[in-house]
Amino acid sequence: MKVENDSRFHLQLMDPVARPLTAVALNKSVRIERLDGPRQDCARLLDLGFTPGEEISVTQWAPLGDPLVVRVRGALLALRKREAAWILVE
Amino acid sequence: MSTEAAQTTAPSKDHVVCLVGMPNSGKTTLMNALTGGNFKTANYAGVTVSLLRGRSKPEYGTPRNIVDLPGVHSSVAPSPEEELAVEVIEGRHSKVKPDAFILVVDATQLERHLKFGGLVGRQGKPTVVALTMVDLLDRTGQSVNALKLSNALGIPVVPVDPRTGRGVKELFAALDGLGGMVWMGNSLSEISSEPIVAFKQVQELLRRSGSVTRTAQPDSLTSRIDRFVLHRYFGFPVFFLVLISLFAAIFWLAQPFMDLIEGAFSFAASTLTSIAPDSVLMRFLGDGVLAGVGAVAVFFPQIMILFFLMTLLEDSGYLARGATLVDRPLSYLGLHGRSFVPMLSGFACAIPAVFAARAIPARRERLLTIWILPLMSCSARLPVYALLLAALLSGAAWQAGIALAAIYVSSLLIGSLVAGLTARIFIKHRQPSLLAMELPAYRVPRWWPILRMTWARGSAYLKRAGVPIMIVSAVLWVISNFGYVPGAPIASTPMERSFASELGQKIEPVLRPMGADWRVGVGLISAFAAREVFVSSMAIVFHVDSADEQTQQEGLLDQMRTATFADTGQKIFTPASIVGLIVFFFFSLQCFSTVAVVRKEMDSWKLAGLQLLFYTGLGYSLAVITVQTLRAFGVA
Repeated sequence: MKVENDSRFHLQLMDPVARPLTAVALNKSVRIERLDGPRQDCARLLDLGFTPGEEISVTQWAPLGDPLVVRVRGALLALRKREAAWILVE
Repeated sequence: MSTEAAQTTAPSKDHVVCLVGMPNSGKTTLMNALTGGNFKTANYAGVTVSLLRGRSKPEYGTPRNIVDLPGVHSSVAPSPEEELAVEVIEGRHSKVKPDAFILVVDATQLERHLKFGGLVGRQGKPTVVALTMVDLLDRTGQSVNALKLSNALGIPVVPVDPRTGRGVKELFAALDGLGGMVWMGNSLSEISSEPIVAFKQVQELLRRSGSVTRTAQPDSLTSRIDRFVLHRYFGFPVFFLVLISLFAAIFWLAQPFMDLIEGAFSFAASTLTSIAPDSVLMRFLGDGVLAGVGAVAVFFPQIMILFFLMTLLEDSGYLARGATLVDRPLSYLGLHGRSFVPMLSGFACAIPAVFAARAIPARRERLLTIWILPLMSCSARLPVYALLLAALLSGAAWQAGIALAAIYVSSLLIGSLVAGLTARIFIKHRQPSLLAMELPAYRVPRWWPILRMTWARGSAYLKRAGVPIMIVSAVLWVISNFGYVPGAPIASTPMERSFASELGQKIEPVLRPMGADWRVGVGLISAFAAREVFVSSMAIVFHVDSADEQTQQEGLLDQMRTATFADTGQKIFTPASIVGLIVFFFFSLQCFSTVAVVRKEMDSWKLAGLQLLFYTGLGYSLAVITVQTLRAFGVA
């Protein structure tokens, strides 16, 4: 866990283990906590099945280290790193 | 059909059934099964193009109109394709008003697909669920009970296998069973439009119904293949190997068929002219129409093989992986991972490629993709390059092969360069749009549908290219064989005094800098109808005699090798001028169909006109620069 600055400390107490999907090990099943990113894009991610509470896992990183493949509700979706970072998991 | 039946269950003539679902749910395969594949796909004049329409086969009861809508991932921030489908579903489309829906649901992804079904359910129209991918359930370690699902949904659920046609009859029977009524209180219509609530509802519904049983671990085959094709070190080599094999196969597999067609056309043309050697009509048919069409028909096998392999790649699921691999470099250029499919299709034909660009959600990225599509080396350029390379490198075939590969690779590189420059110069706001692209499960290719799709695409191509080629060939033959003769207003004249010559002399000053004479100019202008027309025009303006024993292409090459400028007597087709022509064809947008489609698609004359002027101007200037530079360095 990274050291957070003071202003974030309070938030950290509220969700002690939330971290972006990009920080999760390969094939490790994790639960979505919340989405935090541009409103329109997050609305689409929600609609695609990335809803809080849902279990997802990263199954693959593309060779250039950018899009990563995420398994959600039986589907495989390629997400860019910046998109995956909006998905905060427990 | 009796009117009685029509009143009770069977639909009326203009009853429209819409196939709806998420992408990769198997809609189009089901469409094929329902209609026997005889839907209209070649109509690219309007926006209706991605709505495939057809009539169901008579063996499935009263024929009815089936419309296949583009797949919808999400109605939030939709791509134009998705927008169109949602418009039709919600009854807002001006032409297509659905009377009933067949909701195509992937059995391996019930949650996501049924959540989408909420949108369909809320419309209050008769709906049946077609459950596809049932054969994949084993692989995902699940089993689905259609009856229990149907009871829970309050809507008929019919497992279908579109590849064999199994279940299709039952599907229509279920639709007729509804009798045009909506089952009140069906659960699909109660699904919320708010995603978090909707997914909870669907999960609860599936849990309550007990229709899904988990039997084993999820799909390992797809993950195993993905681990390899998206591997850190193997990923790109595999990707390039796939692309190289694609283009290599086009040349090697096609050769025997090309020889066959070439032989047949030469034989037909010489037979025709030998019937009555002096008859103008026979010469018109033999040396004009047949020679012109034949010069291009030779390349048909290559184009069919290209379409076949593209369909095969699409069907296997690899294309989405390719798009994932190149998303990083493409987004750096201001494009999108989804630009990969239009760009690859652009190597077949720019027109379907422009339509394929609809899957790109953001207008800015779509615009940029369409902007560079004319640079992708389309199959219409293939005959032109083949001819010019044969004239340039009279040596072994492998030299031409390598040169051609170099042309293809450069078209990709230069396309990227133009995209990157355009994005950096003209596009200020560069926030990329969402990728979130689905990677479908790998499937064993289905030969029969692939062959049928290849044929549909190939014959559409033939119709599109064949008519202009025939017309231009006929017109060209007439204007290059007739002219004003003092005394008689119009008469058969030698080439030098024909109408074509007269017209050509007027544009010759423009063509001289790029090392071409008026005859080549006539070819270049006629190529605006379709690029491959250049080859048949050359065959006509250079008077290839079909009565010769040689094959047509060799005859044309011989004529080209000996052709000289009328005034100076110098050879026209020198290495410098041939390279200049290749450069011209590389850049120039010589395709009025593309211009028309881009205008329609982006609803902008400005963009289409700019594209035409920019690329054709660029092609001409670069051709002139190439020829003059080569000459300055002593290459004739």
